[in-house]
Amino acid sequence: MVRLHLRADVSLLVACLALYVVSAAQVRSVHGSALTTALFALWSPVPKLAASVAEVWDSWVVGRHDLEATLDEHAALRREVARLREANQALASDLFALRQGSALLAGFPSLIDRSTVARVITRDVLVSHTMRLDRGRLDGVRLDGPVLGEHGVLGRVDQLADRSCRVQLLSHPSAAAAARLVDVAGEGLLMGGDRPTVTGLPPYLEVSAGILVVSTGSEGIYPPGLLLGTTGEARTEGLFTVVPVQLAARPTDALVVLVLAPENAGAR
Amino acid sequence: MRLLLLLLVATLVQIALPSVRVWAPLAACRPLLLVTVAAARTLTPVATAWVGLGIGLLVDLLTDQAVGPGGIGGALAGLAVSVTARRFELTGPLFWIVGAVVAVATTETVSALVLFSLGGALGHGWRGSVATLATTGAVALLVAAAERAWLAWQSPTRRRRRMLNRL
Repeated sequence: MVRLHLRADVSLLVACLALYVVSAAQVRSVHGSALTTALFALWSPVPKLAASVAEVWDSWVVGRHDLEATLDEHAALRREVARLREANQALASDLFALRQGSALLAGFPSLIDRSTVARVITRDVLVSHTMRLDRGRLDGVRLDGPVLGEHGVLGRVDQLADRSCRVQLLSHPSAAAAARLVDVAGEGLLMGGDRPTVTGLPPYLEVSAGILVVSTGSEGIYPPGLLLGTTGEARTEGLFTVVPVQLAARPTDALVVLVLAPENAGAR
Repeated sequence: MRLLLLLLVATLVQIALPSVRVWAPLAACRPLLLVTVAAARTLTPVATAWVGLGIGLLVDLLTDQAVGPGGIGGALAGLAVSVTARRFELTGPLFWIVGAVVAVATTETVSALVLFSLGGALGHGWRGSVATLATTGAVALLVAAAERAWLAWQSPTRRRRRMLNRL
């Protein structure tokens, strides 16, 4: 093995000569210095790769932005559709209520002067047999005021607040109204409950099904002549004839009702 | 070790000087050549020439010029600075200033000659060379002043004087 021993000064001279040759090569190179040439060779793929990556990234960012914008717009449209659907339902409900109120007013033209139109807020026709209206004391509603539906009597006001009231329906177990059967002599008492009946009629009274039951006003609450319901098959229990009644007004269908001033409003 | 530290600092300054935040004429300064001057104080002339060769190559790399002429110029500059400092026994600020001027002048001249012999030319004209000479000399003056201050701060005379003042 040959070992080369060079003096430091000779090595320096050799290095300078080598640098001179390298400089000559660089001066004659179109790419400039050796560093520039090396960097150019090493670096040239990098900008291309970076440009490609940047393009992909830009596309991804723009696509993501577009996707987010589209999703936001979709969500906004869905919210708008939901809002419009709710508004449409509210308008349909209002329209239905207006039609019902109009029919109510047309059905009871003689009572318009002493009545208040009210909307049903809540109702419980199975347990408490009550409904709550959006009119109260400040709207002219009074305690025991009769409440009429489109097809007849619904009940009477039994609780009163400033801006609302509660109605005791005729189906309430403790509800009662003086009643008579059309074309049948005698007056009875319509008792509420799950199966409303007219009691107090003379025994062995011949009552056919489908006879109209109207109020007489004797109890001092309901005006006379208001439709309460229609009769079913009568039967005699003890000293009285008991007539089952199919109530005319159905609380489940009522959206708008007519609240009348009670018969004895002045006394109350 | 000190030389390496100085090399590191000089490299950082060399990189920082062309910044737009620095006064524009200072971009012509070559603080790396002061490392060659510093090496001349402790190393032999040939060793200083080797240091100058490396420094010159580093300057070529950092200034994006053809790599080589600066190395040759740096080697001859190291040799020249070392021989001059020994021949005239330069010390203190004079060592730094004369060393810097000799180093810059030699590097610029040799680089220009090498490139001229190859059919090329320096990237800057004589004004650039003068600017390099002036700014590097100014930095050398600063280094000399700093060295003088440091030596004065660390001098035994000062310590003795302070000790006497406490008594």
